[in-house]
Amino acid sequence: MEYAINALLRQKYKSIFISVVFVVLTFLLTSVFFIVNSMKYELNSTLDALPQIILQATKGGKHYDIETKEVANILEIEGVSDAVARVWGYYYFQNAGVNFSLVGIDSYETQSKESLSKIAQSYELQTQEGQPSMLIGEGVQKIMKKNYYKNYFNFIKNDGSFKRVEIAGVFESETELESNDMIVMSKETLRDIFEMPESQATDIIIKIANPSEISTVASKLKLMYPNCLVITKEDLKVSYENIFNYKSGVFLALFVIALFTFFIIIYDKVSGLSSEEKREVGILKALGWRIDDVLKEKFYESFILSFVSYILGVILAFAFVYTLQAPLLRDIFIGYSELKPSFELPFVFDIQTLFLVFFLSVPIYIAATIIPSWRVATLESDEVIR
Amino acid sequence: MIEFKGVIKSYAPNKTTVVHALNGIDLSIKEGEVVVLRGASGSGKSSILSLIAALSKPTSGEVIVDTKKISKLSDNFASLYRRDNIGFIFQKYNLIPNLSVRDNILLPLVPLNLNAKEAQAKLQSVMEMFEIGHKADTIVKNLSGGEQQRVAIARANVNNPKIILADEPTANLDEKLSLGFIEILKELKSLKKTIVIATHDPLFFGLDFVDREIEIHNGSIVR
Repeated sequence: MEYAINALLRQKYKSIFISVVFVVLTFLLTSVFFIVNSMKYELNSTLDALPQIILQATKGGKHYDIETKEVANILEIEGVSDAVARVWGYYYFQNAGVNFSLVGIDSYETQSKESLSKIAQSYELQTQEGQPSMLIGEGVQKIMKKNYYKNYFNFIKNDGSFKRVEIAGVFESETELESNDMIVMSKETLRDIFEMPESQATDIIIKIANPSEISTVASKLKLMYPNCLVITKEDLKVSYENIFNYKSGVFLALFVIALFTFFIIIYDKVSGLSSEEKREVGILKALGWRIDDVLKEKFYESFILSFVSYILGVILAFAFVYTLQAPLLRDIFIGYSELKPSFELPFVFDIQTLFLVFFLSVPIYIAATIIPSWRVATLESDEVIR
Repeated sequence: MIEFKGVIKSYAPNKTTVVHALNGIDLSIKEGEVVVLRGASGSGKSSILSLIAALSKPTSGEVIVDTKKISKLSDNFASLYRRDNIGFIFQKYNLIPNLSVRDNILLPLVPLNLNAKEAQAKLQSVMEMFEIGHKADTIVKNLSGGEQQRVAIARANVNNPKIILADEPTANLDEKLSLGFIEILKELKSLKKTIVIATHDPLFFGLDFVDREIEIHNGSIVR
């Protein structure tokens, strides 16, 4: 072991170079895996909270508001346990150049998500003076504060007039991706901002008692409302996953490039030792070292170098992803970050990721060091040192 | 102690050329004997040393050391044999240039896994014997030729081997240093070591402590 450490120290510049390449590759791979893990966690949380069926009115392929009276008709369908008309939409905040998601709730209604039910139960969406108020996500709060809106916000309506809404609080949600850009207020306030009459809603969400009947109910809805779009949870999952998989594809390209570079280094190593390294193996053999003594020394040497580099790469990736929030790299996955308030990557510890990166790097490097040394060690020492 | 029976050694540096380094050598060296192998470059002297050290195998014939057929040893047993019996002083010293004097001398002891105290005792003893102790921490590439040779001799003796082989040991030394080396050989003879020196340096010819001089020419013993 001591000899192996000495061997690394005496080839200082070479060891440093290999270590730097190793650290960079481990860091890149681990960072990307960490980001993917965090994104997957966010995605799964979002998918779990999706409504079973969404009914949206369309005209000429465009999304229109739906009549709220349809809720009563939908509740008549067998298998439907609940139907709620939702009021929601996007508000573009020009000063910051971002979109907020506005969601309207009524405390007496069934909510589409558990997070909204908690908000409906815990907060009053009206001040004591009868002024409308709202709850905002952490990302929204940051942006509003930057623009000097600490206690209230002025929404600009279609006719150019202002609608002042007080900030009642900031909510936390299990998933950052979904709630960070969200503003929750009463349906009444939101209808006022969007100028939406009470007889209309953005869409209707439908709850089915038995999940295996979702497709049957969806078919019935399609027949009942040929002008409407019937979106099941499964459809939404596919569309979310398609976007995510596209991002993963971009990553895959990066990953392949990184691996390719790594294997070029490995190939270079496997293709042969330098004459100095060959000579050293020959000398050791001539001094009475057996093949396994040489290989043991080479194993220690490559293990120390690759394992220390691996640990360094992983620590740097931890700091980069979870402390610095992966600047640059995460934009590959969150392409719409310019339009939405930024969100924090949640800490997800996955031991499998660490094992995967370990097995993709350390054993390959060790093998690439040991194999050429073994080839030289099996030659006649006389031939090597002459 | 050392016996060559009809040893032939051929090398094939490429597919079309075959070099016959030794052409049926029969040779016997007794324990404690000092033998000088004389001959021009390429005569086969170094090949004889390589075969004694089991660094290479004969193309045919047998090399026997202490009744052991070392030409038949597997690679691992050949290494163990070298570790226990052979101290080799190479022409170009074959030191590891970026290691210190101390670390170079300790190299043969590394696979033995000796405790630090034992290794230190062996190291100290050879460094004193060959007067290199004051350079223990110097990196070998910064030493003079004569000092490097002392390190090579110390390394060859650190395991207290029975056989010392020296291949053109004075090729890179001036006369004064060469005479110093001859003094060291005398000392080693007094320790009852069997010594085989391959050289064409006239300084080694006719020395009183040398028991035998063997002339090699074109891979055969001529005298």
